[in-house]
Amino acid sequence: MAASFIQIRNLTKSFKKGPNLITPLQDLSLDVPRGEFLALMGPSGSGKTTLLNLIAGIDSPTSGELVVSDRDIARLSRAALTKWRSRHVGYIFQLYHLVPILSAFENIELPLLLTSLTRAERRVRVEAALDLVHLADRAQHRPTELSGGQEQRVAIARAIVHDPDLLVADEPTGDLDSESAGAILRLLRKLSTDHGKTIIMVTHDPKAAAAADRTLHLEKGQLIEQTQPATSGP
Amino acid sequence: MKLLLLALKNITRHRLRSFLTMAGVAAGMFLFTAVETMQHSLATVTKISADDTTLVVYRENRFCPATSRLPEYYLPTIRKIPGVESAIPIQIAVNNCGASLDVITFRGVPPENLQRYNPDLEVVAGSFDAWLQRSDAALIGENFARRRGLKPGDTFEAVGINVLVAGIIRSGNAQDNNVAYVQLPFLQQASKVGLGTVTQFNVKVDDAARLESVASAIDETFKSDAQPTHTRPEKAFFAETAKQMVELIGFTRWLGLGAVAAVLGLVANAVLLIVRGRVKETAILQTLGFSRLMIGLLVSFEGILLGLLGGGTGVAAAVAFFQWQSFTLGNEGLTLAITPDLTVLLKGLVVALLLGLLASLYPAYRAARQPVIESLNAA
Repeated sequence: MAASFIQIRNLTKSFKKGPNLITPLQDLSLDVPRGEFLALMGPSGSGKTTLLNLIAGIDSPTSGELVVSDRDIARLSRAALTKWRSRHVGYIFQLYHLVPILSAFENIELPLLLTSLTRAERRVRVEAALDLVHLADRAQHRPTELSGGQEQRVAIARAIVHDPDLLVADEPTGDLDSESAGAILRLLRKLSTDHGKTIIMVTHDPKAAAAADRTLHLEKGQLIEQTQPATSGP
Repeated sequence: MKLLLLALKNITRHRLRSFLTMAGVAAGMFLFTAVETMQHSLATVTKISADDTTLVVYRENRFCPATSRLPEYYLPTIRKIPGVESAIPIQIAVNNCGASLDVITFRGVPPENLQRYNPDLEVVAGSFDAWLQRSDAALIGENFARRRGLKPGDTFEAVGINVLVAGIIRSGNAQDNNVAYVQLPFLQQASKVGLGTVTQFNVKVDDAARLESVASAIDETFKSDAQPTHTRPEKAFFAETAKQMVELIGFTRWLGLGAVAAVLGLVANAVLLIVRGRVKETAILQTLGFSRLMIGLLVSFEGILLGLLGGGTGVAAAVAFFQWQSFTLGNEGLTLAITPDLTVLLKGLVVALLLGLLASLYPAYRAARQPVIESLNAA
């Protein structure tokens, strides 16, 4: 069996909050193959967003092993982790988190500012990402001039423009109507099947989870159940 | 460069906030540049440099040009003193002997000697010949002409003296740009001093190192005469006679420092507010992979741009203002032209840049250190 794209062994995350020690993740182990679309479900406080942030490299575990694409990111320094994140991870937020003063084009271009690409090369990449999310005609619009679904598609374009291996999405459809949510899920499905992206998605919505290849259920910081839909698709 | 452009977008797309901040910075830097211009102008006319070779011979215990009356026949004696390269008798008439913002100074000189004594005088309008041909003609300094709106062919009256403008002159010596040169006999008669009497002799010494010894020799020569003399370098005279003005302008240094402090506080406050209002945006950039250094640089660039754009506007406005207004401070017949200078302009821009940088250091540190996850979850 080929090595997993993400290997998690005995991962624990704890932090102090006042006098109390909070442990949102406890001794968790998990394997995710390359190109899998994985959904994480669970009640609030179950540790799914904490797990997502650890996999995305914006947080560091207290103990355990976290290997992504053969690299143990749990042992990287903050600076090395930041650099790794800029190359390998695309993050999609529930509330899109676009920079309001920048146009759709400029928002999507942001991750490319960290590369050595020329302006012309960046333009080609951004335009390709805009085409992929069907927003080529909205390139110069600011976030306030876009609908929620369009904003999320811009956020997805921003997450994929630098061609990362891994996409992490924190409730990407949580703030959208069902039609827009369906479009976003079809887009994520396409990124997984057609472009080989490994996608980890946190969701509360079983319909959204049904779009994934596999769904993991977390509770109190531990995996309790694994489900696999018979057919994929939102 | 990419971060600089991003910082510029942040500034240009928050127009009102950026405009108000830059307007405050511009006002502070205008004041700073105004003070620096005065300080620089004062230093130019009072600090004796190594190549200064001009002495001024006055009547001892003079207060004003009106009380310095020396016989013109001292000239040949002065010229014979060892170390004296050339000398010229000058009659001065001023409209106001005390400190004044609008002093008018006539300098009466022997017409045949003016160009030889002062070869760097450049006639920028009118002609020198026209000045030679009419006894009541005047060559006026370009600052004086600008301030009074005078051009060749115009007549004007001051201190009871009517003259015709024969030409406009420009000189490397700031004093010359603020006076009206007339022919000595004309001024002696028009000012009722009488022929044969002058206010001062300007003496050029062949070696700057001999200034003091030549000055002493001149004063020694006329010590027992009816009109004893007091000889000093021209700039030392200005520093001495305009002591109160010097002190007053020296005090303005504190105003300049106050303006700098105000700009520092303003930019620091503006950048800190920007950082506080942009917690989530900063966290997004961090999530995308912007390092702490890049976040810090982005904030610093914004502070520097605010300082530089606002400061540059203020500095340029101050330079343009002083260039246009041609202010002159006069005291006892000597004038201090408040003239903007390239070094003052550059100093203003460097100060604005440094203030922007200094003011953004702490906000940049705060932004770079903010925790990503807590910031993303911030309301």
